[in-house]
Amino acid sequence: MHEIWGVAGLVAIALGLSLMLSDSYALKVVTWLSLNVLAAIALRFVMLVGELNIATAAFWGVGAYTAAIATVWLKLPFGVALVAGIVAPALLAVAFGFVTLRTKGPYFMLISFAFTEVLRLVYTQSDALGGNSGMIGVYPPRWLDGTYASLVVLLVGACLVGFLWLERSAFGKLMRAIENNDAVVASVGVPVLAIKIAALTIAAAAAGLGGGLFAHANRVISPGDFSFLVSVYALAYVKIGGEKHILGAVLGATFLTLLGQYVLSFGQYEHIYFGGAIVAAMLIFPEGMLGLLQRWGARLGLVRAPEPATSRGGH
Amino acid sequence: MELLAQLLANTLQIGAVYVLFALGLTLIFGVMKVVNFAHGEFFSLAALIVAASMPLLPAAFPSWLNYLVALAAAIAAVAVLGAIIYRIGFERYLRDLVGSFILSVGLILLLQGIMTEIFTASPRPVDAIVTGNVTVLGARITAQRLLIMALALLFTGLLYVVLQRTRLGKALRAASEDREAAMLQGIRYRTISLYGWLIGVSMAGLAGALMAPLSPIQPAIGADYLIKAFIIIIVGGLGSIPGAIVGGLLVAAIESVCGFYFDLTIATIFMFVLVMAFLLVRPQGLMGHVER
Repeated sequence: MHEIWGVAGLVAIALGLSLMLSDSYALKVVTWLSLNVLAAIALRFVMLVGELNIATAAFWGVGAYTAAIATVWLKLPFGVALVAGIVAPALLAVAFGFVTLRTKGPYFMLISFAFTEVLRLVYTQSDALGGNSGMIGVYPPRWLDGTYASLVVLLVGACLVGFLWLERSAFGKLMRAIENNDAVVASVGVPVLAIKIAALTIAAAAAGLGGGLFAHANRVISPGDFSFLVSVYALAYVKIGGEKHILGAVLGATFLTLLGQYVLSFGQYEHIYFGGAIVAAMLIFPEGMLGLLQRWGARLGLVRAPEPATSRGGH
Repeated sequence: MELLAQLLANTLQIGAVYVLFALGLTLIFGVMKVVNFAHGEFFSLAALIVAASMPLLPAAFPSWLNYLVALAAAIAAVAVLGAIIYRIGFERYLRDLVGSFILSVGLILLLQGIMTEIFTASPRPVDAIVTGNVTVLGARITAQRLLIMALALLFTGLLYVVLQRTRLGKALRAASEDREAAMLQGIRYRTISLYGWLIGVSMAGLAGALMAPLSPIQPAIGADYLIKAFIIIIVGGLGSIPGAIVGGLLVAAIESVCGFYFDLTIATIFMFVLVMAFLLVRPQGLMGHVER
């Protein structure tokens, strides 16, 4: 319980700091950083049941398009648009999960990859959604001028605390148990498929919220914003930060987003630099930055040494 | 009848390339239990090397000879790059799905960035290797397509024989089936997984080198093949060799027919819908057996 209050305290500090910022560039960085954290924790949540959900990018995109349609075409209030952007991907996730989560091994990863890329093709084919050029004019309401970044920090912080609470709850323990050995969990009468679908749906709702916030922060969305790379970056945040604790995702997202801001000044070399960073991190510190900090801490006698990184899947 | 023959010829030609590509992916998964998301980059690299080196080879030689030289060079380059990547990276992430996934997508970004730097992003067409048309069963096909099709079928058959008959092939299949049992029989897992990886990425390179004369090549082209290869593998069953062959031809048939009446993007979307419907009935794939 202390842990959850601690994280909530960190969120409150971040929120306070964001309210003090007035520089528009700094506010932009805070917005991107928070959205990256949200993508990372949404991806990580499904990893708790042992599945790599590349469709995080797909649900992010569905949330963004739904919220954009609500704002641009239907002229609905901002809050309603955000809620629509949460509900649509959650409903989609129930159906998608029902079909795909019964598979074993790496199939879910492959299907979620294909799903993401196919949805992107659907957007490009749909003239109503603006085809390749996407949708424009997704403005946030006037009353959020200057405080949009703080709203994003608040909502992402709420998701962070909520995910941590779920992870520590009885539901979270079942998720971990399913990751370790779903056959044993099923043998004592736990509905494994239903729990997996629930985890996917919750993560999809959070990703949808992220998409809606992203659309209103960017004001323009196009199919290219929702390729599988969104999930790849999210996974990089989780892995580079350290996947054992939810704060690892925050650490990884912060580090890579700030690095990304620096790298963007190189322009065309962005891909090389980001790819290089991911590959180098995987080779140099496979347990992530949290693992590295823990190792240093252990050397100084502050904390216990981390267990060696466990491999997953591919029995 | 002529339309049917035309569609059939088209299916066999793209199908053979898909089969080669998917076989490499499924072979790597079988032995290493790693999904190589960077598979498409090996495809693009080989295709780009063929496209870039063909104009440099002496025009005095017949162009089919130049093509074969370029093809051999491309596959050699892919194999060398593959060996380096294996030694530095994948060797540490054998049988680790998540770790190898991140490594391979990091490689997608890295390799695609480097290839765009070297070869630029603009599509490269290749001059025709052989000219003229051939009529088979009432269908007119360019001689070039027929040649590529023959080469692809030849290599697929060759790989199939290697996997089924030779000691190496048997060791590869044994290691895919059950690593511990294979090791108990004296099969060196690490050596075999390196061979499996090298054969796998060379298959991707071969598919790329064969596609180069048929469609303009640019660095991002590998990604299109990756989605289709995933669909093939989901339908055929991961690690299944017959599954990759049947799945590859099935996907090619859908693409030929659907691409003829609608367009290729619609064909891909349609394929995905079919896969979802298929998974409702058989979550383990067409040829896959139920795991554990």
